Amino acid sequence: MVTVSASVADAFGLRLTFVLFLSVVVVTLFTALLTAPQRDEISEFYLGNRDMSPLRNGLAMCGDYLSAATLLGSTGLVALTGYDGLLYLCGTVVAWMVVLLLIAEPLRNSGRFTLGDTLARRLPARQRSVRLALAICTLTVCALYLVAQLVGSIALLTQFVGEPGPTTRTMTVIIIGSIVTIYAAIGGMPGATFIQVVKAVMLVAGVTVVAVMVLNRFDWNLDDLLASATAGSGLGDAYLEPGLRYGAGPISKLDFLSLQLAIVLGLAALPHVMMRLLAPRRTRVLRASVVWAVGLVGFVCLMAAVLGLGATAVVGRENIADIDHKGDAAVLLLAGELGGEVLTAIVSALAFVTLLAVAAGLTLAAASSLAHDLYGEVIRKGRAKETEELGVARIAALFMGVLGMLFALLAWGTNTATLAFLAFAIAASAILPTIVYSLFWRGFTARGALLSLYGGLLASVLLVLFSPVVSSTPNSLYPEADFAWFPLQNPGIVSIPAGFLLGWLGSLLGPPQEATVYEDFEVRALIGADQR
Amino acid sequence: MCATLLSVGAFLSYVVLSSFVPGVMNQRLAGQLTVGLALALTQFAVIGVTAWLYLRHMRRNVDPVVRRLRAQLEDHEGEQLRLPAGRRFRAW
Repeated sequence: MVTVSASVADAFGLRLTFVLFLSVVVVTLFTALLTAPQRDEISEFYLGNRDMSPLRNGLAMCGDYLSAATLLGSTGLVALTGYDGLLYLCGTVVAWMVVLLLIAEPLRNSGRFTLGDTLARRLPARQRSVRLALAICTLTVCALYLVAQLVGSIALLTQFVGEPGPTTRTMTVIIIGSIVTIYAAIGGMPGATFIQVVKAVMLVAGVTVVAVMVLNRFDWNLDDLLASATAGSGLGDAYLEPGLRYGAGPISKLDFLSLQLAIVLGLAALPHVMMRLLAPRRTRVLRASVVWAVGLVGFVCLMAAVLGLGATAVVGRENIADIDHKGDAAVLLLAGELGGEVLTAIVSALAFVTLLAVAAGLTLAAASSLAHDLYGEVIRKGRAKETEELGVARIAALFMGVLGMLFALLAWGTNTATLAFLAFAIAASAILPTIVYSLFWRGFTARGALLSLYGGLLASVLLVLFSPVVSSTPNSLYPEADFAWFPLQNPGIVSIPAGFLLGWLGSLLGPPQEATVYEDFEVRALIGADQR
Repeated sequence: MCATLLSVGAFLSYVVLSSFVPGVMNQRLAGQLTVGLALALTQFAVIGVTAWLYLRHMRRNVDPVVRRLRAQLEDHEGEQLRLPAGRRFRAW
């Protein structure tokens, strides 16, 4: 990825990508403006249209969840590491089962606009400090994931023009960041939902078309595809055996397990996915929506597996690794090989739109947490007027957008996957224990919530700080320094149990909660009264 | 709850198996298909089955209870609303 000639598209392809991307952006921006909340109601800004059909809800959830990392990163992982990449794809689907079976319905029934509302109902005694802690965790997760998306846009641009200069880099981040901020600040949830649905439809259609082309090339013979992929990888049978990526020793195997834990458990606690769960008005609609989302995500992941294997079979592992050592170029190269420049342009425009939509969802989630939990309940102590809170929410979206852009420009060299995995780890070890305990454990108290929120956050951040990600290996942020006493790159396997343990300990040590509060909460989580 | 443990546990044990017992996972079943790849596909089947079981459980066992509770609650509120304030406690 040093010279221009090594990139995957020429000037025509770049222009075509640009035109396609712009037209999607223009259409969705106009719709975001048209559907923007007109009557200054905060419920509309936070939750959007609450009477959408399950299919559209499911598409929006799938759109919120599947980022450009899935489209480019996971397929690249499959293309380069075969079996380990496939395992990783499986994890992204299994994660949805936690949402469907455990979190979705009780959370919606007991919540209102944010997760903070659920916790306030469950732990009314010290709801302000709990809300503050939750808002801090939410903001950290959102900021990390948002920066990962914006840095990803630079990485994606690199596929076209080679290593971009500082001006190009800044321009890309600022343009993408501004569009994202406009979606979130003006369009609110209705605007974000529209772009999620558009993006999800494009994504499903896009991967299906390319996967069908791959399968057609191998006469719909999966065995043939696997054989060609093995041949194309140049690694022989090892390609379809575990251990290519994470097989160097027990530590790297533990690292993989740790990553999978964070992915499977972290999804259910990602703020922008949770915000979607609160939107449907009826439990039945929510249930059907999540089932749709599981189906769609599963389908896209299966197709992504075909794409990754196809890329290795058609293009060859060497060529993919030459362009980008992480394999992000796999799908683009495959598209170029199968359908020429037009298909490459369509897939890359799709990747940009995907990135944009996820970033918009994140900005919105952070803004609602800032405005509703931090401003409305902690600073103004619940006395803020609706219009006032709405104004703060829009300003908060703007603030998040600018913050994300600044961080992305500062940290443009970091690995997007590292940032995203850290966000997953924090969500799984700080936010998830609190949700699970407050939904299902009678003895959970405010002190437990505070301990597990702050403790989980600190544990995952500190462990990453003292891991090979930051120091001691050539790929770390500070290669010269060496203070990495924690051997794993993913903190999940330690920090998730730590979060659960701290929540349990804090609840045992602190004064117990009144029994009636949990009973009221339980009934509400079951039937969801006054949500009509 | 059990269903969650089943599907997530199935997946995690699959990850552990692939990492630490590669010998079993690399056995060929048919053509290029190894035991490990077949198990990966089984994960999708497990997901589908657990989702279906969950939906059936909710429809059969939980939804009727919820409906009854909600109806009770509404009846209760409705009665209190229908009665004018002065006549609510007519003891005799």
